[in-house]
Amino acid sequence: MIQITDLEKFYKTEEVQTIALNKLSFNVKEGEFVAIMGPSGCGKSTLLNILGLLDDPDGGSFMFNGTEVAGYNERKRSELRKHNIGFVFQSFNLIDELTVFENVELPLIYTGVKPVERKKQVEAVLEKMQIMHRRNHFPQQLSGGQQQRVAVARAVVNNPKLILADEPTGNLDSTNGNEVMDLLIDLNEAGTTIIMVTHSEHDAKYSHRIIRMLDGQKVTENILA
Amino acid sequence: MYSIINISGLAIGMAATMLIGLWIYDELNYNNHFKDKTTIAQIFQHESSNNIIETSPAIPRPLEFALRQDYNDNFKHIIMSSWEQPRYLNFGETTIYRTGNAMQEGAPEMLNLDIISGEKNGLKEMNSIMISESTAKTLFGSETALGKIIKVNNEDDLVVTAVYKDIPSNNSFSDMEYLIPWKFYVTTQPWLENAKDSWGNNSFQAFVQINENTTMEAISAKIKDVKKIGDPSEAEFNPEMFLFPMEDWYLRSDFENGVQSGGRIENVWLFGIIGLFVLLLACINFVNLSTARSEKRATEVGIRKSIGSQRSQLIFQFLSESFLIVLLSFVVALGIVLLFLNGFNNLASKAIEFPWSNIQFWLVSLLFVVITSVLAGSYPALYLSSFNPVAVLKGTFKSGRYSSLPRKVLVVAQFTVSAALIIGTLVVMNQIQFSKDRPVGYEKEGLIQIPVMSSEFLGKHEVMRTQFIASGGATSMTTLSGPTTEVWSNRSGYNWEGKPVGFQEDLAYTNVNYDFVETLGLKLIEGRDFSREFATDSNAVILNKTAVKYMNITNPIGKYIRDSDTEDPFTPLKIVGVIDDMIVQSPYSPVKQAMYVFEQYGNIAYYCLRLNPNKSTSDNLALIEGVFKKNFPNTPFDYQFVDEEYGAKFRSEERIASLARVFTALAIFISCLGLFGLASFVAEQRTKEIGVRKVLGASISQLWLLLSKDFITLVVIALLIASPIAYYVMGQWLQKFSYRTSVTWDVFAIACFGALIITLITVSFQAIKAAAANPVKSLRTE
Repeated sequence: MIQITDLEKFYKTEEVQTIALNKLSFNVKEGEFVAIMGPSGCGKSTLLNILGLLDDPDGGSFMFNGTEVAGYNERKRSELRKHNIGFVFQSFNLIDELTVFENVELPLIYTGVKPVERKKQVEAVLEKMQIMHRRNHFPQQLSGGQQQRVAVARAVVNNPKLILADEPTGNLDSTNGNEVMDLLIDLNEAGTTIIMVTHSEHDAKYSHRIIRMLDGQKVTENILA
Repeated sequence: MYSIINISGLAIGMAATMLIGLWIYDELNYNNHFKDKTTIAQIFQHESSNNIIETSPAIPRPLEFALRQDYNDNFKHIIMSSWEQPRYLNFGETTIYRTGNAMQEGAPEMLNLDIISGEKNGLKEMNSIMISESTAKTLFGSETALGKIIKVNNEDDLVVTAVYKDIPSNNSFSDMEYLIPWKFYVTTQPWLENAKDSWGNNSFQAFVQINENTTMEAISAKIKDVKKIGDPSEAEFNPEMFLFPMEDWYLRSDFENGVQSGGRIENVWLFGIIGLFVLLLACINFVNLSTARSEKRATEVGIRKSIGSQRSQLIFQFLSESFLIVLLSFVVALGIVLLFLNGFNNLASKAIEFPWSNIQFWLVSLLFVVITSVLAGSYPALYLSSFNPVAVLKGTFKSGRYSSLPRKVLVVAQFTVSAALIIGTLVVMNQIQFSKDRPVGYEKEGLIQIPVMSSEFLGKHEVMRTQFIASGGATSMTTLSGPTTEVWSNRSGYNWEGKPVGFQEDLAYTNVNYDFVETLGLKLIEGRDFSREFATDSNAVILNKTAVKYMNITNPIGKYIRDSDTEDPFTPLKIVGVIDDMIVQSPYSPVKQAMYVFEQYGNIAYYCLRLNPNKSTSDNLALIEGVFKKNFPNTPFDYQFVDEEYGAKFRSEERIASLARVFTALAIFISCLGLFGLASFVAEQRTKEIGVRKVLGASISQLWLLLSKDFITLVVIALLIASPIAYYVMGQWLQKFSYRTSVTWDVFAIACFGALIITLITVSFQAIKAAAANPVKSLRTE
C-alpha cells in the first residue's frame, strides 16, 4: 500500500539546514500494523506528516496505492487524504466548541456526505466505540480515555484504508491506554492499515512490525508477527 | 501589531472627538467677544396673518420713540440700526466695497468695540465713520487713518473718528467693517422721514442692552403691545414685540409659528452625539482588544503568582499598563489634531485655535484618559488576577464558553453606530441632491448681477443696457430691487377683484424692469414680459403661479391690483404676465407668492445681465467691465454669478454633509480596525481548530466561511438594530424641510451591502491567512 524510497525532508532556518528524513525507505502492506519508534527529533512526526499527506517531501518517492503522490499539490493531497486516511493524535485534537457527535461528523461533512447518511454513520461508529451515551457532551466534559475514543471514532468514521496514530496513548493512563490500543487492534483486524508512532515499547508490541529510527534514518526493523 | 491597532484606533477616535469638541466649544461660545452678552438683545416681533405667526427682527421706526418715552428706565442702551449694507469706500486711488451698519451713538460702547485709535463715541458727529482695523489697512496702508476723509458711495465725505479691532469671526457683527452714524443715515435717506411715523413700515432693526435690575422676560412682557398701542390699525396683525437675547441669536434662531424652535443648536447636538459615538467606538476597540489579549497572558499571570506576586500588585500592573497606552494614544491624538486642525477649519468654515491655555480642556482630557484606562484595564486587571496559577500553568485553564460574549455585544454596538451613521450620511446627501435637482424656474447659469446701490447709477440703466448689449458681452439686461436669490421686501395692503373678505396677504415684492422674463430665462405661463411697446407697463406687474393661486384670481391677465384697500391715490398695477415659480429663498421650502412690479422710484439694487453664450465668460466679463468702467470710473466693478449665489444656499447642509462623511468614514475605519484586531485574535485562538479541520479535509473556502460567518452574523444583527433607529431619526430630521426626499430602501441596501462588504474584506484577510497556513504548523502550536 505504501512504498517510500529515499525519502528526504529538510528544515531550513536562516543559517542551519536540519535533515529530518535522510534517504528513508520502507514499505507497508495493506492490512499491516506498523509501529515507528525512536528518540525525540529522529524524524518520526515528520514521516507521519508526509505519510498523512499533510507535508511534502523534499526528495525521494512516495507511492500510495501504486500512485506517486510526492509531487501532489495541496488540493490533490487534501482530496486523497480525506477519503483514505484517518488521524489519531496524542493530544486528541478535538474541537472544544463542538459536541462529541459534531466532532465525529466533521470528516463526513468535508467529504460531502448527506446529513441523513452522516447521522447513521456517526451513530454507528459511536456505538462501536461505546461512547454513544456521550454524544451531546463537549470534549472538556469527558475523561482523557473517552476523548481519545472520540478521536479514534472521528478517524475511522470515513472508513479510511489507513490510520496514522501519533502517540495515541501518550496522554492516557495505562487502563485507558490499553483500551485505545484494543480499539486499534480491532480496527486492524477488520482490515485497516495502521501506522503508529510511539515511545512506548508496550504499545509497540501490539504491532506486526517495529521500525526504529535515528537521525532521519531507519536503524532496525523487527517483525513481531 | 495589537499595540499599533490599539493605540492608533484609540488615538484617531480621541482626535476626532477632540476636533468635534473644539467645534462644539466654538459654537457654544459664539458671541463671547461681547462682554455684555447676557444683557444684550435684539427687538423682534411676531405678526400673524391668516393664522400663521411669523417672527422677524424687522421693526418700525416709531418703536424707538415709544421705547425711549415709556420704557427708557429698563434699558442701558437703545440702539437703532440699519441693515448691514455694502458701500463703496474711497480714499485717493483706492476704492473698496465693504459692508457695515448705520447705528446710534451708544453702539460702540454696547458692543464693547476695541478701539485702537480715536474715540469710543466716534458716531457723535454727523459726518463721521468708524472703521475696522482691516478696512483701515486696506484703505490707508501704514498711514494713520484717524482724521482722514473717506468718500462713501461716491457721494458723501466722512471723517474717520475711530479704528476698532476686527470683531472675531465667531461673533455676530463680525462682518461689520464700518459704522456710520444713524443720524447721517436718517439725513441722507429721505424715505426715513416718512417712516418716522409709520408703524407699518418694518424696515429697521433695534438692539438694546437691558439694565441689571431687570430681566429680558420682564421687559418683553412690558413692551409686548407697544405697536398695537402706537397704531391700533396694526392690531389686525396682532403684533407682539419681544427681546431676543444675544445668547440665542446664533444657536436658537428658528421660530415656528411664533414659538422658538431651535436652530443651529440641533447641529451641535448632532455632532456632539457623533463625537461621543466615535469615541465610544474607539474605546470599545480598546477594551475589546485589551481583554482579548489579556487571555493570552494567563500564563504570565500564573508565573507571576507562583513566584509570589500579590493580587493587588497584578491589578496595579494591568491598570498602569492600560493607563500608559491610553496616555500614549492621547499624545498621538494631540498630534493628529494639530496636524488636521487647519483642514478641519476649512471643512467647517471655522477659525478654531488649539486651546493650549484652556484649563477646562486639559481637565476634561485627563478625566477621559483616566476613565478609558480604568474601563479598558479593569476587566483584565480583576479577571486575570483571579486565575488559579496551578490550573493556568498546567494548561488545563480554559476561558469560559461565554467569555467572548461581551466582546460580541461590543462589536454589535460598534457596527450599529457605524451603520446608523452610514444611513444618516446617505440621507443627508440624498436630501441635498434632491433639493439641488429641484427645478429653480429660471436659467441661473450665465447670469450675473452687478450691485448698483449708490445714486450715481440712478436713471442710467437703459443707457447701460444698450452699451452692455452693444459690447457683445451680454445679450439682455434687466434691473432688480433685490438680489435674484433673496427676498428683500414683503408687502401687504393690496386690493383686487375677488379678494376674500378679511384676507391678510403677504407677498414677496421685487421691482424689475424690461426684459425681466427674457434675461432670467423665466417660463411664462400666461401673458407677456414687460415691454417698451406698452407705455402703460410703467404700472404693470407680473405674478408667479403661486401668487395667482394664493390671491385666488381667475383669468389674471389684464386685471388690476390696487395699492390700498381704501380710496386709491396711486395708479393700479395691471397684471401683464404670470410666470412659473422661481426659487428665490430656501430650496427646501415652497416658493412664496411673489409680485414682480415694474421699477418705480428708481428702486434698483442690481443690474442683472444674461452673458453672451457665444463668448467665454472671461471675455464677456472683460467687455462688461469695460462698459462699466467707462461710465463709472471711480466705482469698482463688482459682480456675482447667480448660480454661485444660489449654490450658497446649500452651504450649511453641505457642511453638515461633509463633516458627517468624514466622521462616518472615521467611525467605519475605527470599527474595522477593531474588527481586524479581533479577527486576527480569533484566528490565532482557533489555530488548532483550523489545523484539525484542515487535516480532516476542510478546504480554504470552507475555513474562510467558518471564520467570517461569526463576524457577519454580528454585523447583520447590528444592521437589524441600526436600520429602524436610523429610519426614525432621519425621518424626523427630514421633517424640517418642506421640500424633502424620503428615506428610501436603497439607502438601507447600500448601507447594509457596504457594511457587509467592508466586514468581509476586513475579516477575510485574517481568515484566509489562517486557513492557508500549513496544518502541520498549526498543530505544532500545541
